[in-house]
Amino acid sequence: MSTSLNVNVGSVNLKSPLILASGTCNFGRELAEYYDLNILGGISSKGLTIKPRAGNPGVRVAECASGMLNSVGLQNPGVDYFIENDLDFMKDSGASVIVNVAGHSYEDYIAMVNKLDQYSDKIDALEINLSCPNVKEGCMTIGSDPVAIMFITSELRKLTKLPLWIKLTPNVTDIKATALAAQEGGADAVVLINTLMGMRIDIRTRRPVLTNNTGGYSGPAVKPVAIRMVAECSPILDIPIVGCGGVADYKDVIEFMIAGASAVEVGTACLVHPALPVKITEDLEKYCADIKLNLKDLTGTLQRW
Amino acid sequence: MDQKKEYRIKLVSKEFLINDTCYLGFECPEIARVSRPGQFVNISAGTVFLKRPFGIASVDKDNGIFYIGVKVVGKGTSEISEFELGSMVDCLGPLGNGFDFEGYENIILTGGGTGVFPINFAYETLTAAGKNVTVCEGFRNAEQVILNKEGYILTTDSGDMGIKGTVIAGLDAIYISEPSKTLICCVGPIPMMKAVSSWAADKGLKCLVSMEQRMGCGVGICLCCTVKVKDEGPDGFKNVRCCKEGPVFDSKEVVW
Repeated sequence: MSTSLNVNVGSVNLKSPLILASGTCNFGRELAEYYDLNILGGISSKGLTIKPRAGNPGVRVAECASGMLNSVGLQNPGVDYFIENDLDFMKDSGASVIVNVAGHSYEDYIAMVNKLDQYSDKIDALEINLSCPNVKEGCMTIGSDPVAIMFITSELRKLTKLPLWIKLTPNVTDIKATALAAQEGGADAVVLINTLMGMRIDIRTRRPVLTNNTGGYSGPAVKPVAIRMVAECSPILDIPIVGCGGVADYKDVIEFMIAGASAVEVGTACLVHPALPVKITEDLEKYCADIKLNLKDLTGTLQRW
Repeated sequence: MDQKKEYRIKLVSKEFLINDTCYLGFECPEIARVSRPGQFVNISAGTVFLKRPFGIASVDKDNGIFYIGVKVVGKGTSEISEFELGSMVDCLGPLGNGFDFEGYENIILTGGGTGVFPINFAYETLTAAGKNVTVCEGFRNAEQVILNKEGYILTTDSGDMGIKGTVIAGLDAIYISEPSKTLICCVGPIPMMKAVSSWAADKGLKCLVSMEQRMGCGVGICLCCTVKVKDEGPDGFKNVRCCKEGPVFDSKEVVW
């Protein structure tokens, strides 16, 4: 693979800017049936919790304009099962291993990071999920409050030398405030953005389509929101940004990088086209060859009006 | 293991069976060759975002064509039903586990609604293999009856065709001589599958059901289409993926 796609997210070197977004690739195993995961910059695991979680009951997905709502609710096998059964698979894939850490309380996050720190030889970064909208406690509740973000980030910072990427929610008034709070707490990067909270209603029954009532909106529709947030945060942050939201082709990756992202996550579009990262990677290589540049030189090159 | 892929395939036949339900044939030799009854395909649907899952209704291996049935229930299925011959669609498949008939000589296939499509594929496969197959299908009324073949037991809620009542009334008419060698497979609405499941339990028959749930990806990565199955853990159940661990489950495993 061409070195023109190499990027760095702080100390983490990725052979491509493309990372599979948490919650849209499980732990990579199912997608390995479609393509060689070694082409990827990284894989961000399904959001993990200290104990296994069954997730939300009932209907968990609803089609929306250019995207979808989900209310999976962090169904996952728990961190111990992951370490035992999935971590080595991710490591052996050749992609950098990003472990997504979710919790219901500060104590959960602390216990998770303490545990995962013992496997730092197999993990390239921890993505701290302060942004899942589909659980009642933790995640977005913490991630909406700059003071709480700074507190939890600084607490986790004491526990590990692994890079800490804080995944933030767009469901806030000022993304700059929450991104700065993560930086001040000692984050190595911020991931912008998780899903936008939304609702769809069945007009016949007058009930929400999702049994959880609300869900997280993702897909191409949310890309402009994500791009705006990356572009807003890029000038004020000293730490790198990982862009995430609505990526569906190579131009979207480039757009995120121009806005200020050092790497880019792709997620919902892979639910429709599992092997999409192969096409995006080929197109990015061609783009770099055509205009003779290294992709990382694009980061933050936005020319504002 | 062969690398799986997404196919771009052509619509080569289309027939409306009743006003809201059509039968579509797509050219894809790879899918036609390897599909098993109970498996499904995920098909891109015009302007909607997510693909839509459809149980495979038949395969023509010689001509490399597989068939699905589409009942119009929303925007995605509406757009698929309006595809013209020659249209190209993106398709993933075959997906899911399919029915395992191994070890059974007598197989009862039962269902209703769009469940009659996968039942059709199972019927064709089993009769070609020389198995003893009985089919019992239920519909609301005579106007809804589709894919009915000679020898099928037919029930309608209205009673204007076949036996009046649900498929249970039809199943009661079947004489089961060897319960241990008889398997019943059901594809239909959840209340029907639940009723068939308890009917089968009463008769001491193993029962397989093909579950349906709103799907995101169809390949096991989004965890949207979960089905509750029994588990020995503290919750007494666990959520498994309809698209990956299913869609076919032993009815005794399902938390109804």
